[in-house]
Amino acid sequence: MIPILDSAAGWLQETVLYPLLYALDLMQWEDVSFGWALFAVYGLVQVIVTFAVCLPLERWRPVETWPDQRAVLVDVLYTLISRVGLLPLITFVLFYKLQVALDGFLTDHGWVPPTLERIFPFLLGMPVLTFFLYAVILDFSDYWRHRLSHVFNWWYSLHAVHHAQRQMTFWSDDRNHLLDDIIGFIWFTAVALLIGIPPMQFPLLVLLLRFLESLSHANTRLSFGWLGERLLISPRFHRAHHGVTAAGLDSVNYGAIFPWWDMLFRTADFSAEYVQTGDPTAEEALATGSYAAQQWVALRRMVRDIFGRGGKEERKKAVLF
Amino acid sequence: MRSPILLLALTLLLPAQARAAGAVLVMNSSAASLSVVDMATQKEIRRIPVLREPHHWTMEPDGAALLVGDTVGNEILFLDPVTFELKRRLPISDPYQLGFSPDRKYLVVNGIARNQIDVYDAKTYTLVKRFPASTMPSHLDFTPDGGTVFVTLQGTGKVTAIDLRKMEVIWTAPTGKAPAGVMLQNGKLLVANMGEDNVSILDPATGKLLGRITTGKGAHQLFRSPDGKLIYVNNRIDSTSVALDATTLAAKRTYKLPGGPDDMEFAPDGHIWFTMRFAHKLAVLDPATGTFTTIDVGRSPHGIFLNPKAVASK
Repeated sequence: MIPILDSAAGWLQETVLYPLLYALDLMQWEDVSFGWALFAVYGLVQVIVTFAVCLPLERWRPVETWPDQRAVLVDVLYTLISRVGLLPLITFVLFYKLQVALDGFLTDHGWVPPTLERIFPFLLGMPVLTFFLYAVILDFSDYWRHRLSHVFNWWYSLHAVHHAQRQMTFWSDDRNHLLDDIIGFIWFTAVALLIGIPPMQFPLLVLLLRFLESLSHANTRLSFGWLGERLLISPRFHRAHHGVTAAGLDSVNYGAIFPWWDMLFRTADFSAEYVQTGDPTAEEALATGSYAAQQWVALRRMVRDIFGRGGKEERKKAVLF
Repeated sequence: MRSPILLLALTLLLPAQARAAGAVLVMNSSAASLSVVDMATQKEIRRIPVLREPHHWTMEPDGAALLVGDTVGNEILFLDPVTFELKRRLPISDPYQLGFSPDRKYLVVNGIARNQIDVYDAKTYTLVKRFPASTMPSHLDFTPDGGTVFVTLQGTGKVTAIDLRKMEVIWTAPTGKAPAGVMLQNGKLLVANMGEDNVSILDPATGKLLGRITTGKGAHQLFRSPDGKLIYVNNRIDSTSVALDATTLAAKRTYKLPGGPDDMEFAPDGHIWFTMRFAHKLAVLDPATGTFTTIDVGRSPHGIFLNPKAVASK
């Protein structure tokens, strides 16, 4: 499968990206452009695989059924932007530029960014174990990024875009404010400076992890059993994080792939209920508005929070109501 | 069912040229690995894992070690050039293109991502001087006495000449869009302009532009044939390799190589081995007929090192 996908990325680069870079006088980026081609091709496959697996699951054992599913459509748009189109391009350019600038600054001061494989040379030649360790470290780091996004009012104002969805499906994983995504990239870059991140060294494994993240948002009654729930995050476990009573600053189940950090830091909720999702404190536009409306309302709310102009009070009123 | 006897007979019947001895090492820049390819069977025999992103190589002046640069991994790998056994790893900042000065005094390392040209002592590998380079220092070539190194600056469309005796920049001059390959040939500096369809001819003393030769869109790399009679220019957009007369610089023949020809090596049997960046393969071209075969390797193969005496054992 990997050679087919790599060939598709090569085809995309040769027939689309290269002529485009040439026409736009951007050929100096030719080496970097292959990374984006890989992101786009593997991203498209992620969407197709997720759709093929999660849709039947949602039809088979849905938690909720909705007569009108228009609110889900905007999540489809979020997914396509995030996994196939613009966002990987921005991520790549932003991540690359940021990493080069910071790496260069540190190297000039005598610090060569370390990697796990340099610290533990036995990992070279053991790609699956290496990737697993990177995944564990990144998941740990992401647990804290996510948890902090529920601690600060201004940050949660952005993250509320993700929580406002009352019709949560496997499409909802990428429903994030652009600024929240950018904060995530900066967070990721900081970790990359500490342990080195092999961006697309293991694309198929990245695809698998992203699939698990999408699956955890699926509208389906699916639990992995007592032991499985403690090894990987299931749709039931993550649904508790999206529950109406868990929205806002005091939530549970912050993990994305592994539930271990929630268990370790006592934020895990393994109760067997399939709760109703959504954020009652969020403006209606965040739940059912267009992509642009969601982005704008969350940004406005964040600015009000930062400058103390009533963002918090608005949310309290919404709860009482 | 395949008969082993029949396979053996077919192998023995193959022309001697197709059974050239030796092995090829390929730098798979997006797969964090090096492929070892047996030249006789034209099959990948094994992969050597590296940290992140291997691109290019150079040979120690005494031939003791083959140096492979891992840019994102920030290290240089020292390999046995015959067995490809890893002998040493050296942490070095962003080693993209690298080369020893012909006087054996310095190792020059271009950091394309970090906009730096580093000059290391060739014996101790300690940093002698870092030249900030605006921007994206890419390929390099030296004067025969080792006194000057020429480096293309891919991000700003320029070439810079550095005096390695005085450790100072002599000149920096415009050449064309996204320049990559650079070669000193018959007292002229040739620069492949990847953002254009041509090779610039510059005066190596001053950087003055003397002329241009049209080769094809995405002119990327320059290679001299072993007999010194031809210069091959690989064009990334057109996916061609153009053979120029080394004296007149007139185009003699164009080879169409779909899949993004990049670096190349010349085998003793006359075949030319190319890395094909987009196709994730090697192409082995017979320049007499223009036909080629392909060999699967890792993702985005870039640098290639060919040694007829190397052993491609597992």
